[in-house]
This record gives sequence, C-alpha cells and structure tokens, in this order.
Amino acid sequence: MSTAAEPNELRDDVLNGLQLSTQLEKVWRTPPGLVGALMAVDHKVVGRRYILTAFAFLLLGGILAILMRVQLAGPEKTFLSADKYNQIFTMHGSTMMFLFAVPVMEAFAVYLVPLMVGTRNIAFPRLNAFSYWIFLFGGCFLWISFLLNVGPDVGWFAYVPLSSLQYTPTKRPDVWAQMITFTEVAALAVAVEIIVTVFKLRAPGMTLDRIPLFVWAMLVTAFLVMFAMPSIMVASTSLILDRLVNTRFYDSSSGGHPLLWQHLFWFFGHPEVYIIFIPGAGMVSAILATFARRPVIGYPVVVLSLIAIGFLSFGLWVHHMFVTGLPQLGAGLFTASSMLIAVPSGLQIFCWLATLWDGRPVYRTPLLFVIGFIVIFVLGGLSGVMVASVPIDTQVHDTYFVVAHFHYALIGGAVFPLVGAVYYWFPKIAGRMLSERLGRWNFWLAFIGFNVAFFPMHILGLIGMPRRVYTYTADMDWAHLNLLSSGGALIFALSFALLLVNVIYSLRKSELAGDNPWNAATLEWATSSPPPPQNFDRIPIVKHRDPLWADSESLPVVAGLSAERREVLLTSLAEAEPQIREASPEPSIWPLLAAIATTIFFIGSIFTPWAVLWGTPPMAVTLIGWFWPAGSKEDEA
Amino acid sequence: MTEADGHSRLLYWAGVALGPLAWGVNLQGVYVFAHFSCENTRMSGAILSAILAVLALAGTVTSARAARRSAGAEWADAQGGGPRTFMAWLGVGSGVLFALVIANQLAASLMISPCLR
Repeated sequence: MSTAAEPNELRDDVLNGLQLSTQLEKVWRTPPGLVGALMAVDHKVVGRRYILTAFAFLLLGGILAILMRVQLAGPEKTFLSADKYNQIFTMHGSTMMFLFAVPVMEAFAVYLVPLMVGTRNIAFPRLNAFSYWIFLFGGCFLWISFLLNVGPDVGWFAYVPLSSLQYTPTKRPDVWAQMITFTEVAALAVAVEIIVTVFKLRAPGMTLDRIPLFVWAMLVTAFLVMFAMPSIMVASTSLILDRLVNTRFYDSSSGGHPLLWQHLFWFFGHPEVYIIFIPGAGMVSAILATFARRPVIGYPVVVLSLIAIGFLSFGLWVHHMFVTGLPQLGAGLFTASSMLIAVPSGLQIFCWLATLWDGRPVYRTPLLFVIGFIVIFVLGGLSGVMVASVPIDTQVHDTYFVVAHFHYALIGGAVFPLVGAVYYWFPKIAGRMLSERLGRWNFWLAFIGFNVAFFPMHILGLIGMPRRVYTYTADMDWAHLNLLSSGGALIFALSFALLLVNVIYSLRKSELAGDNPWNAATLEWATSSPPPPQNFDRIPIVKHRDPLWADSESLPVVAGLSAERREVLLTSLAEAEPQIREASPEPSIWPLLAAIATTIFFIGSIFTPWAVLWGTPPMAVTLIGWFWPAGSKEDEA
Repeated sequence: MTEADGHSRLLYWAGVALGPLAWGVNLQGVYVFAHFSCENTRMSGAILSAILAVLALAGTVTSARAARRSAGAEWADAQGGGPRTFMAWLGVGSGVLFALVIANQLAASLMISPCLR
C-alpha cells in the first residue's frame, strides 16, 4: 500500500466523527443543481436512476402485456389490429429483456456492489454515467419509434429472412437492431465496472471466500455479459449492414445463411436467461440469510453452482433451434447440456431450503417473495427439462407451452426475487421502510395473479395454440383458458400497481429505517440509510464472511485515505490485501456529451452509411474531453 | 513447504480450469467431428468424450490434493479467509460436475448415430 503522504494533504486518520463525515461529504457529494445532476458519477445516484428507469420500462412493457391479454381474452376480438399486435408483442419482449430485466439487475449491482464490498465508488464511475445515458437514450429511441408507428414488429429475436430488407422494407427492424447496440454497449460498460470493482476495490480482508453471495452472482453475471453480448452486437450490426449496404451475411442466394442469425442470436439469447436469473439467485441468497437468521448453508456449493451455471449457459443455445434441421447428434449433446444445467440450479435450491430448514425464519415480505420464487422457478425448471428434450420440443415449439415455460423461468427466476429485493433494500436506498401490510397484499396478488395468468398457457400450448397469433376462431376451444389467463394477468398487474402505491406512500409516511433494520450481515448495512456520498467514513476491514454478525458493535476500519480529494483503496485479487491508493474521477459532463454524440452516430447510421464518417468526429471530441488529463492533486503536489 | 506441497498449492485451481475447459472442447469437438464420425469411425465422439471426462476428473483430483495438503490448513468455513482452499474445493466440485456433463453427452453420442440429420 502506498503510504507516502503529500506534505500538506489532509487524511482521514487525523479527522474524526462529524468533522470527518462533513469533510468527506464535501469531497464526494454530487454538485447541486441541474448541471450537477447531469455530471453525477456517484454510483448511488446513477444506480437509483438506472433502477427507476428500468422500472419505468417495466411499467411500459407491462401495459403492452395487458393490451395483448385484452386482445386475446376472447376469440376474434378487434381491439388490436394484426400489425399493431405484431409491434406490441415485439416491443413487449424487447422492452422486458433489453430495457428492464438486464438493466435492472445491473442497476441493483451498480448501487449495491460498491457498498457490499466496502468501497467509496464503483470502478470507472464516468463510464458508469455514460452507460446510464446510453441506456436511457436507447430505450427512448425504441419507444419514440414505437409511438411514431415505426416500432419493430419482427419479434424480440428478429429472425432473418423476416427481418431482411426484402420482407420488411420499413425501418422497423433497424430500430430494433440499433436499440440492441445501445443497450448492449450500456450492459458491457457496467459489466466491466462490476468485474473491476469486485476484483480490485474490495475492502481489506474480504478474501474470495468472504465475498457476499449477491456480489458473486453479479460477478458471474458480468462475465456472462462480457462473453454473450458481443455475439448479439455482431448479429445486430451485421443485420443493419445487410439492410443498409447489402453485405449479405444472411442472404442464402449470395452465400450467406439465415441460420447464422439464429446461432449468433441464441449464443447470446440463452446466456441472457441466466444473465437475468443469476442476479436473482444472488438476491435470494442475500434475503434468505437475513430472514433465516443464519448464513446460507453450503457457501462454496452456491458459488460453484453460480459459476457452473454461467459456463453451462453457453452450451445450451441450440435447444432453441431443435426444429431447424441440425444434426441429431448435435441436438443430443445440447439436450444433455440443457438438462444438466438443472444440476447446479438444483444444488442452489437445496442449499436455500436447507438454510430455511435450519434457520429461524422470519416471514417478512422479502422472504415471501423468495418462497414464491422457489415454487415458481422450480415449476419453470421442470417445464424447461421437458422442452430440453428434442421430441417434446418439436411438438410444443412455437406454442403457448413455451410462453408459459419462459415466463415461469423468467418471472419466477428474476422478477419475484427482484420485488423481494426492492422490499429488502428499499430501506437502505430510501431510508424508510416499505409498508409490510401492503407488501403482503402485493405478494399474494402477484403469486396468485401470476399462476392464474400463466399456468393455463401450458394447457393452451398442449392443445395447439401457437405463439404470436393476434386472434383465434371460436371453434378452437381456446377461449375459456385465454379469458382465465387474461384475468390472472390483470391481477398480476394490480400487484405491481400496489408496489408503486407502497413506494409512494412509504416515501412520505412510513417509519425511518435506521442503518440496519433487518439485522443483516453484509457491509451495505454498516452505513447510514440512505448512505452518505462517501459510503463509509472509513473503509471497513473484513475478518468474517458475515462481518456485521461477527463484529456487531464496532467494525474494524482502515485509515489513511485522502480527505480532500476522491480516493479509493485498491486491494489484491484473492486475498484482498491493500495495495495502493487510487484517485477516483470527479463529476463530469463529458459522459453525457459522449452519450449524445454516440446516440447521433447510432441513429444516423441506420439511415445512411455516411453517418459513420460525420458521426465519428463529435464522438472523438467528447472522448478527448472526457480523457483530457486534468491531473490529480496528488500528481500536482 | 515441500516441493510436492508447492505443486499442490500451485494447482489448487486445476479443477476450476480443467472441468469447464474439457466440457467446452467436448461440446464443440463432438459437434465439429460429426461428419468425420459418420464417414469413418462412429466411436470417435465417444472416445473424445471419455478422454475429456477423465481430464475433468484429473482436475478434481489435483484440486482435492491441494485442498487436503497445504491449502487445507486455511480452511475456516463460516469465517472465510482461505481463498486458496475455497478455490480448491470449487475445483473439486467443478471437475466432478463437468465430468458428469461430459458423461451425459457421451451417452448421447453412444445412442445417436452421427449420420442422423
């Protein structure tokens, strides 16, 4: 650790109490006013924005789902036209997958990971701000296009040749493809930040086997993002190139191949499921330990399972392509892989059940959502094992059985833990408790509504109802189950309305949370609620996997960081031994300007290839401004 | 520390590395060799899988030795603080898990003719 102090530098070892807090707040706070807000690089500010924006997109995607369910509630309804229905189901899938599910998980990580590893800011905080702006602009681009009737209508997977210029000569697939570029750039940026934060910014003593399980989950997720997202970015960019300058990647008449699209898409698309599920599993581990009043049983097994799921998720993509005529041997291999991912998933579930069994569970709202998760996710996993089998998959492919399966897997595996996480971490983020009474209503409405909405879809699929149809005739006998499903969807939507009411009500009227209202064990609960700009007045030293349970009275701390400029402590990868003090970037407007320039470049390039030329200089200018060496006070001393 | 202990300590991560690596090679390899297997020997996929399953298990054994020897002294379950042992135990589990995955794929290659399309 570098300890050579500059002669006149104020350090946190000569200040104490309120004096230290005030000084650090002055150094780390986000500048006031609108310009200050636009310059923010505090991971908590950016994380809050990310979470709120992702939930706004959930609301929009949910409204689309309700529109679809109204249309399908009875036979031959004319509430939506076929064209509008195509746009709506595409927008629903794209919004939920690209603008809600992945970003919201990364958003929680942006907010929580630095707190949980005991540092003062995320690694590369300006990149973090850039990531948020790019995500926001990409989401707005998609939704403004939709409102202008240019919303994509080729499914959230945009298969070629349907999405090729020949069959869809509008700009709709281009909007979809470029939205992908926006959101994937944002996701990749956050992944880099999470990996570096976890590897280099952990508090001293937080060895690999003391990292909180949620942080492990986000680390594995970040690696999945790093390896999966480039595939879809290559796919979406090559699709745009095919459509704009006739590159013919997917044109079979010129040597290209439509199946290439499916391989590239699903090489991303299947890990995407686990990019959404693994953070949910991390949330479950965090909530479960707190409310079972004991550490999660089998910590190494849970970590191993997370890593194994991450690896295996890259070996399953072909099970989305069983009906494309691939060699049966390949299909057999991918069937085996698909079924075996149930093994590490099952190991985790057994560890969680054992933790509940051996603990003294307190059934507050977050734990109710975790139990709901276990029930629903296991059902989704069982139908997953069914569709991993080639004969069954061939029968139910593109039917509502698959719709039921993936909603059980995704809503069960990610949304239930996520809502549980909202109830769990809201006191830390907002400083106030959410209403427990409304929370219980919220859970039961969600649990009942979800099952009423999606369970009938299994049966609908088995009796032959295909996906992506905007209506059906009365003689198909699908009406009753569809009506039931639509009723359930309304109840499920009501549960989210109740969550919103609870948040608004609790922000104004509920009791103050205090630092650690749940008596939890991880470091984010060691600071005030909401945390101050500097997160911790002094960086904690970790001597136990559950630091707040082991050192409940006074957490040992390390001193010596600067108190007059932004500085973080870098530690070694495995042992988390202190290595060096490192300057942390100040607030800056350049990430926003770079995001605006990038947005102009991205949107321009779906209209003309010349945008690559005239769009690059503004980006270069903003990046030069961003990285212009301002010189830290330490360097100048 | 003896030389043998040093090697065990050095390779405590073997299972974490070899298990997924063997599985990745197997997954791609059998798929790539499907045409070759059809035209030449039908057992090539099974042989490849068997070798790679053994490789994954070799990672398990190496990690287990590390956990049992020098790294084992660092073990402290609830408290943590032994990252090498932790990685060694992850290696043990990882090698077994991926050997199991490869064995299942081996079973698939024994049951299905590589010539089927």
